Amino acid sequence: MNDAYAVDVEEVFKSFGSFKALNGVTLRVRKGEIYGLLGPNGAGKTTLIRLICGLVEAHGGTVTVLGRRMPDIAVLRHIGYMTQQAALYPALSVEENVRFFAAINGAEDGVREALGLVQLWERRGSVVSTLSGGMRQRCSLACALVHRPELLLLDEPTVGIDPQLRVQFWDYFRRMAADGTTLVVSSHVMDEADRCQRLGLIQYGRLLAEGSPADIRAQGGSQNLEEAFLALAGRRES
Amino acid sequence: MSGRRVRAITRRLLQGFRRDRRTVALLFVAPIVILGLLGYLMRGSSNLPNVGIASQDSGPLGALVASSLKSSSHIHAVDINASDGDAKLKDGSIVAYILFPADFTRQAQSGSVAPDVHLEGSQPGEDSPVLQALQESMISLASQVAGRSVNFQPRVHHLYGGRNYDTLDYFGAAFVGLVVFFLVFVITIVSFLNERSQGTLERLMASPLRRGEIVLGYMLGFTVLALIQSAEVLVFALAVLKIHNQGNVLLIFGMEALMAIAAVNLGIFLSMFARSEFQAVQFIPLVVVPQVLLSGIIFPVSIEPTALQWLSDILPLTYAVNGMRDIMVKGADLTSSGLQLDAAVVAGFCILLIVAGTATLRRRLA
Ligand SMILES: Nc1ncnc2c1ncn2[C@@H]1O[C@H](COP(=O)(O)OP(=O)(O)OP(=O)(O)O)[C@@H](O)[C@H]1O
Ligand SMILES: [Mg+2]
Repeated sequence: MNDAYAVDVEEVFKSFGSFKALNGVTLRVRKGEIYGLLGPNGAGKTTLIRLICGLVEAHGGTVTVLGRRMPDIAVLRHIGYMTQQAALYPALSVEENVRFFAAINGAEDGVREALGLVQLWERRGSVVSTLSGGMRQRCSLACALVHRPELLLLDEPTVGIDPQLRVQFWDYFRRMAADGTTLVVSSHVMDEADRCQRLGLIQYGRLLAEGSPADIRAQGGSQNLEEAFLALAGRRES
Repeated sequence: MSGRRVRAITRRLLQGFRRDRRTVALLFVAPIVILGLLGYLMRGSSNLPNVGIASQDSGPLGALVASSLKSSSHIHAVDINASDGDAKLKDGSIVAYILFPADFTRQAQSGSVAPDVHLEGSQPGEDSPVLQALQESMISLASQVAGRSVNFQPRVHHLYGGRNYDTLDYFGAAFVGLVVFFLVFVITIVSFLNERSQGTLERLMASPLRRGEIVLGYMLGFTVLALIQSAEVLVFALAVLKIHNQGNVLLIFGMEALMAIAAVNLGIFLSMFARSEFQAVQFIPLVVVPQVLLSGIIFPVSIEPTALQWLSDILPLTYAVNGMRDIMVKGADLTSSGLQLDAAVVAGFCILLIVAGTATLRRRLA
């Protein structure tokens, strides 16, 4: 085990019934980098992220997070997980939601900063069920990072977020990475992929390619990341 | 009005059920189970209530009536000493005893008998088979005293309860606890499922929270609500409905609280076996109805068919209902071994459910 890695996934298999969702995935995320997980619908991105935070157990292989074999409850206080669907308490206000997730992680002092970041400080009193979809997504992000985790797992965090805020999110992600936080971000959006330091392309539960955006371009033989991605995906299929 | 659109809704509805086999099964199995249970309970070979017979009659007629009572199909008559009667009522080995006084034969010959009927009185519906059996045995008496009808005036005494107790007094004691148990169970199971279906449980599982902390936190939260509800129900029952109460109000409240905690944990535990609020609600007929039928609220456990008695004996509500009646009708306090047992069983059940709920929490997530 190398201490330079925040996440070390080795030859992991995961089946749901007879369906193989993850089929021997190996990937390593370095500390302090932004790692982008790309792949079509059903590729296994969410399953991989849930595996990293110990929500599902692998049928084979090992998952090591921040130096500890998962599942390990002690590591969880250093992980922030933003689920793909905004998982919030609809009857609670924005602030009450964020404060709750802060409290269970023992970090009540981060509430104001987290709400400021997602620009919901003004709306902190609004009940979540009355928010727009994008605002819920922002509130969900605030809940994931309120305890300033060392490893932030973001499952399609910018879906439904308007362009201005999306730019601000990525600025913030980069600042967090610069401060030493490791981010794993799943996405379908190629201009977001370009902002990651490294990318992993997943399809059919396998890692197709891994490397910096430039590496991926070279491997796919195209200057356009999207085309490179489609080329890599197609090559494997045929 | 378009027939096609209406059909589309109908079809959609039935298609959904096709994938939810459990709901379909419940729809067709639950009524049979519940009605079958009810049928067995009321028509099955019920156990006859034990009734003590003490004849002090110096003439022959007391023994005659006693032997006719022993062949009665309503009760199971056993000979006892008059002086043991009250003790046997208290320890529950008999539900009533009938005392024929020394001058019983003379009374009969003079045309009017007044046997003493001592009832335990804490259970509703236990007195009618006793009085019925006695009434019937009087017919054999009349044939012995040729030529005259015998006037029959039993003197009924109650160990607990009494004439001024109506049906509500018996049911009320049990229902005070049942209402709390039932409502708290429903609220808990549905809101724990909400946690699952809105995805927040997944987040809790990815946080440093331990399973036991989640279960305990839930338990405390709902217990606060349940205690307020218990207090409200209790005040209403005692002050507005004026249900008779012989016992300590704090004890009733304590028993209610135990029932509420049991209900919370039952809700958490059973929510692990439901995938939707819809399935959760289905636990109500399966969990609550048999308990209401078998816990002795309506039919005394002592006269249930033996197989159902075993079932009653493992249902926590049986002990809870018994405890409530012990307090409210009998005026039992904490020195009563019966109440100690009831409270201990309900408390033990709570602990069992907390452990079970905690153990199943993570398993059901993946
Ligand atoms: N609990 C589950 N039970 C059965 N199958 C599952 C379960 N979770 C995931 N799968 C299957 O595993 C595969 C991968 O799902 P996953 O959610 O990881 O995809 P994804 O890459 O996140 O897709 P998307 O981009 O649409 O979010 C899918 O085919 C999905 O149907
Ligand atoms: Mg996904």
